[in-house]
Amino acid sequence: MNRQIALNSARRGFLLFMLAFFILPFLWLATTAYKPSTDIFSIPPQLGFRPTLAQFTKALTIFDVPALVRSSIYIAGGSMILSLLLGVPAGYALARSSHRFAMALAYFFMSIRMVPAVAALIPFYLLMRDIGLVGHWFSVVLINCVLNTAFVSYMMYSYFRALPPEMEEAALTDGCTQFTAFWRVSLPAVRSGIVASSLFCVLFSWNDFLFAMFLTRLDSKPISVALLSAYGTKDITWGTLGALAHFSTIPIVLMVLALNRHFVQGLTKGVH
Amino acid sequence: MALSTSTAPSANPFAVFGSLTFTQRRKLFLAALAMPALIYVLLLGVYPLVKGIWYSLYDYNLIKPARTQFIGIDNYRELFIDSDMRQALLNTVVFTLGSVFFELVLGFVIALALWRDELFNRICLTLILIPVTITPLVVGLIFKGLLLADYGLVGYYLAQWGISDPRGLFASPDTALATLIFIDVWEWTPLVALILLAGLKALPTDILEAASVDGANPLRVFRSITLPLMLPSVLLALTIRSIDAFRVFDSVFVTTGGGPGNATNTLMVYAVKEGLSFFNIGKASAIANVSLLCTAMIAAGLIFLIRHYDKKASIR
Repeated sequence: MNRQIALNSARRGFLLFMLAFFILPFLWLATTAYKPSTDIFSIPPQLGFRPTLAQFTKALTIFDVPALVRSSIYIAGGSMILSLLLGVPAGYALARSSHRFAMALAYFFMSIRMVPAVAALIPFYLLMRDIGLVGHWFSVVLINCVLNTAFVSYMMYSYFRALPPEMEEAALTDGCTQFTAFWRVSLPAVRSGIVASSLFCVLFSWNDFLFAMFLTRLDSKPISVALLSAYGTKDITWGTLGALAHFSTIPIVLMVLALNRHFVQGLTKGVH
Repeated sequence: MALSTSTAPSANPFAVFGSLTFTQRRKLFLAALAMPALIYVLLLGVYPLVKGIWYSLYDYNLIKPARTQFIGIDNYRELFIDSDMRQALLNTVVFTLGSVFFELVLGFVIALALWRDELFNRICLTLILIPVTITPLVVGLIFKGLLLADYGLVGYYLAQWGISDPRGLFASPDTALATLIFIDVWEWTPLVALILLAGLKALPTDILEAASVDGANPLRVFRSITLPLMLPSVLLALTIRSIDAFRVFDSVFVTTGGGPGNATNTLMVYAVKEGLSFFNIGKASAIANVSLLCTAMIAAGLIFLIRHYDKKASIR
């Protein structure tokens, strides 16, 4: 018995060590934002510091943070809504159809998600330039939506497939229209899948910066692009960067922690 | 499907389709639901990809539009002898193999440690997933800051104690790629652990229990039962991660930008630099297509393996 207790504590010790490994680097950047610049540049580097909010005031004066966050919200929200509108019905149709195309289409959607972004980005950039959308946040929504729609379609396909069709069939025989059967009967039953899909759409498009970097301009750039341009500028210290990173990472981390069950379920179920 | 035999309800608002049977209307309805997504992806996803193949057959530079002409496969022929391209391909392969290997090993150990269903493990799993959610760009910045040789919390000591180059891990061609692999392992091991944990939880417990009741030692149970049964999950994690690792861009772009020299130049970084910084669309498209082809081959190979083992598992 003693051996088991020892093994168990070793296991927990290992997990705590891993936890520290995966979380401390993130906490380092987060805490840098509360350090005065003199402490950041101290040699040798030190852990302790006198907390201050000066870095936040600096970040807020140098950057138009509300505008950056607003762009990020437009991009993430826009592509979430559009992808759900397109992807959820498609996932349902693929799961309910017995046509041989349905399976092929599901795999097609899955493979779209694996395409190296740059292969689509360069021609897409030229396309947007031709229709005059380069510089507008909506162009980022459009390209994010390609990947997200494909992702949502495939993810919802696996959620709808796991849903037994009997309830719908009963509704249809009771005289429901096909749309009502889809909207009122099936859709509420896959609520969890829809939450997970939305979460991943927001996560993907909020975190993207490759598309946004080339498709937006100064007045429409999201916070991820601002972070990149902030880095390497002379008068911006790691503290200011850490403060700015708060606005980019904290909303997502909180959202994922709050919806953790859906996040984990989506990762294990929908990603493949 | 049971639906195909049932008949249409008489009071149907879709009167236009009154002459159609229920099955026909069902098919139409499902097609109508799938069509918008399909059209969207074809129009804004597949069309640009095909256009990209087209561009790759041209000498096409946005800065010198007058020079534009069809050159067939010359862009590809050039890449074949281009030493930068060879280096980028090699870096990408090394990066992919290295990060996926360490992610699988460490991820498996973590998944095993998290296997038992208890509060401690559930809390651990929640917190351990944080790196997956952080913007990859910020992940790059975090490690860039930590590893700065001048005043970075870790980099300073590495440089002082002579473990790293005096200018830092990213500054030396010998350590830069390994450091990028380390960053990828930090960011994505939790995801691998989660996928493997889901696989572990789906294992048939009766077999495992029977084996330990029969007195098999834990190591033997792991080697002869757990590991073979986990093969499909391992392959799945392998597929997801190798495809993503092959497309690595964000962390490289932020930390080294492909340098020093081209020690960490990957296919994606190379293509983005050529295309969107030098506006050499033809060559960039060709690089992107090579990377697309490689990803497709990795995916096809691994999916073939998964199906092979799935069949084997179901026969058993």
